[in-house]
Amino acid sequence: MNLNYSDEQNMLREQVLKFCETNYDFIDREKILESDSGFSKDNWQQFAELGWLAVPFKEENGGFNFGPIELTVLFEEFGKALVVEPYLSSVVMSGTIIENSNHKNKSSIIEKIISGEHQMSVAYAEPNIGYKFFDCHASTSVNNDILSLNGTKSLVLNAGNANQFIVLAKHEGLSALIMVDAEVDGLSIQSFKTIDGQTCGELTFENVLIETDSIIASGDDAEALFNKMMDLSILCISAEAVGAMNASYIKTVQYTKEREQFSQPISNFQVLQHRMVDMFIETELTKSLLIKATLQLDSNDPDAQSTISALKVQVGKAGRLIGQNAVQLHGGMGVSNEMSIGHYLKRFTAIDSMFGNTQYHINKYQTD
Amino acid sequence: MDISFSEQDLQFQEEIRAGLNGAEYPAHVKEKQEKGINFSKEDVIDFHKFLSSKGWMGYNWPVEYGGTGWSPVQIYLFLNELALAQCPTILPFGVGMVGPVIYTFGTQEQKDRFLPDILNFDTWWCQGYSEPGSGSDLASLKTKAVLEGDHYIVNGSKTWTTLAQNADWIFCLVRTETTQKKQEGISFLLIDMNTPGIEVKPIITIDGDHEVNSVFFTDVKVPADQLIGEEGKGWTYAKFLLAHERFGIAGVPVVKVQIERLKNLTAEYNDADLNKKIAELEIDLEALEFTELRTLAAIAEGGHPGAESSILKIRGTEIQQRLTELYVEAAGQYILPYEGPDGFESNRTPSGPEYASPSVAQYLNYRKTSIYGGSNEIQKNIIAKAILGV
Repeated sequence: MNLNYSDEQNMLREQVLKFCETNYDFIDREKILESDSGFSKDNWQQFAELGWLAVPFKEENGGFNFGPIELTVLFEEFGKALVVEPYLSSVVMSGTIIENSNHKNKSSIIEKIISGEHQMSVAYAEPNIGYKFFDCHASTSVNNDILSLNGTKSLVLNAGNANQFIVLAKHEGLSALIMVDAEVDGLSIQSFKTIDGQTCGELTFENVLIETDSIIASGDDAEALFNKMMDLSILCISAEAVGAMNASYIKTVQYTKEREQFSQPISNFQVLQHRMVDMFIETELTKSLLIKATLQLDSNDPDAQSTISALKVQVGKAGRLIGQNAVQLHGGMGVSNEMSIGHYLKRFTAIDSMFGNTQYHINKYQTD
Repeated sequence: MDISFSEQDLQFQEEIRAGLNGAEYPAHVKEKQEKGINFSKEDVIDFHKFLSSKGWMGYNWPVEYGGTGWSPVQIYLFLNELALAQCPTILPFGVGMVGPVIYTFGTQEQKDRFLPDILNFDTWWCQGYSEPGSGSDLASLKTKAVLEGDHYIVNGSKTWTTLAQNADWIFCLVRTETTQKKQEGISFLLIDMNTPGIEVKPIITIDGDHEVNSVFFTDVKVPADQLIGEEGKGWTYAKFLLAHERFGIAGVPVVKVQIERLKNLTAEYNDADLNKKIAELEIDLEALEFTELRTLAAIAEGGHPGAESSILKIRGTEIQQRLTELYVEAAGQYILPYEGPDGFESNRTPSGPEYASPSVAQYLNYRKTSIYGGSNEIQKNIIAKAILGV
C-alpha cells in the first residue's frame, strides 16, 4: 500500500500550480470570462506547449500515456484557480471517445487536439430526457440513400468554439456516436454563458448530411464508450471540486483571520471555527473517495462504478456545504460578484448538476 | 499509488481469520457473536484469554515487552478481522492505555510487576480521568494525593468510569500540587481497586444499562512505588496516552457488518426512503474508510498524523449514531416496550421484530460516542487550532 504521488505526478502538480499563480488570478480570470470566446487562446496554446493537452492520450497517438491519476492532479489544480479553458470537453470527453473509437482519422484528429489547433465537444444532453442520455430523440434517417441527422442537443460545452462535435443520436434504432463538423450545412448553434462563467450551446440539426464513416461507434459499443467517457469526466470534475473545496476553506480561514468585528478577528469565534473545521473535514473525505475512485478506475476494478457514484454524491453534498459556508463566513462580501469566493459556490452548483446530480447518483449507487 | 496490501499482509490476514475460526476459540463466545447476543463478563474474559493464548494480546506492543511487534498495517488488519467476525471489543484500558504508559515511563520493577498480567489478562484495568467537575477541562481535576512517608493518601472522586465494577486496578490522574498552571501539578498513579476507602457506585445510563460508575476515594493509602514516572508529570503521560495511535477509532468494520444486517432485516419492507438513507450512510462510510486507510498509509511510512485522526473520531461516531437511528426508524413503533437488563417486565416477549428493543437501547447508549474520548466539539477545537491555525 502506497498512497503517495510519484515524482512525475508531483512535478505536474507544481507546474500547473505555478502556471495558475502567474496567469490565473481572479482579475485575469474575469478578463477571460469577458472575452468573446470565453476562454484564453493564449492559455490554451500554453497548455499545448506544456504538454498538458497530451496527458491522457496513448503514446502511439502522440500522447504521454498518463492515466486517471495524472488527470485528477491537473484538475485539482484547475479547480483551485477556477480555470475555464475547455479541457474537459475537448481533451477528456472528446479525446476519450475518439481514441477508443474506430474512426479512420483518429490519429490526425488527436494530433490536432494535442497541438491546440483543434477543439471538440460532445453533444449528449437533450431537453426532457434528464440524465437518461441514451433515451435521446436526435436520430438519423435515410432518404434516397442519403443519411441525415435531425434533432436538438442542449448544454454542449464550449459549443461556440468547437471545430467538431461528437453527437449521441439514434441510428437504426440504436445508440450511435456521430462526428459532425461545426461548419456543416443544417447545423445551427445558439451559444449561452453558463452560471459559472463558462459557455455552452444548443445545437439544432436539420437534415445534416452524414457520411457512414462518421458513425464512430454504434449499439452496445457506443454506449460502453460513452459510459467510459462519463466515468472519466465525473472523476475529473470531482478532482476539480476537491481543488475548489481546498481553496474555499483556505480562503475562508484567511478571511476570518483578517476580518475584525467586536474588536477582534472573527476567527476567534468558536461557532465559525467549527464551521471551518466542517469544511476541512468534508474536503478530506471527498479527497479520500476521489483517490479511491481514481485507483479503481485506473486498475479496471469492477467496484469502480459504485465508487464513482459515491464520489459524485459526496462531491454534491460537500460542495454545497463548503460553498454555502464559505459565502456565509465572508458575510456580505460572500455574495459580491467581485469576490472570488462566490464563484466557487457557482462552480460547485454547476458540477453537481453535470453527469447526474446527487439524487441521481444516490439512486444509481443502490442499483450498482 | 497502490491501494493493495502486500502478499505478506494478506497471508497474515488469513492467519488471523483462521485463528478466529479455529478450535481454540471459545465456542460460547462465537455462538453469541454469530447471533448478535450481548456478551457477559465471562465471555469478555474468555475472549481476552484466547487472545493471550495466541500471543495476540499485545497486538500494539513492541516485542521487547512481550508484544507482537506487528506493523501498523498488520494491527489494522488484525482489528479489522476481529470486528468483521463480531468478536467482543478488546478492552482498551490495559493493553491500549496503561500498558504503553508503563513500558514507556515506568520503572523496570513496574514493568515486571504489571505488564505480564496485562498480557495474560489477569488484571482488569479501568481509567480514572474524568471527575464530576472536570470533563472536557480535564486538567482542572481535583482528586488529591498527598505524600505521607512511603504512601500517597488519595481523596476525591472519579466519574464515568467504564466497567469499574469489574476492575482490579485503576490508573488515575491525581493532583499532587496546586500550581499556577493547572497541568503542572498532576501525577499518574496506579491504584488497586481492593484498597480500603474505595467505593464504586453504579451510574445507570439512559438505556437502562450499568456500564459506567462513580468511584469515590476516602483516605486511600497508595504505596508510593505505584506512581508512574515523576511527580507532576502526569499530564505529559496522559497526553502521550491520548496521542498513542488508536487504530479502529472510526469503527468502520463494525458499522459495515451492522449495515448488512440492517439490510437483511428490512429486505421484505423494501422502504425506498429507508433504503436511500442506508445508501447515503454507506457512501459516507466508504469515504471514512478510505480516509482511515490514508492515515494508515501515512503511519506505515513513519508519519505521525495527529489532528487528522480527529476526523476519524468525529465522523466515525456520527456514522455510528446515524446507524442506530436507522435501526430505530426501521423498527418503528415496536421500539416502545422496554427491555431492561433483566428482560421484559412481564417476562414475555412483546410482538414486533426481535431487533426492535436492542435497537432502541443501542440508540440511547450510543449518544455517548460523541461525548467520550474528547467530545466531538473538543475534537473540532483541536483541528481548528492544529490544522486551520485559528
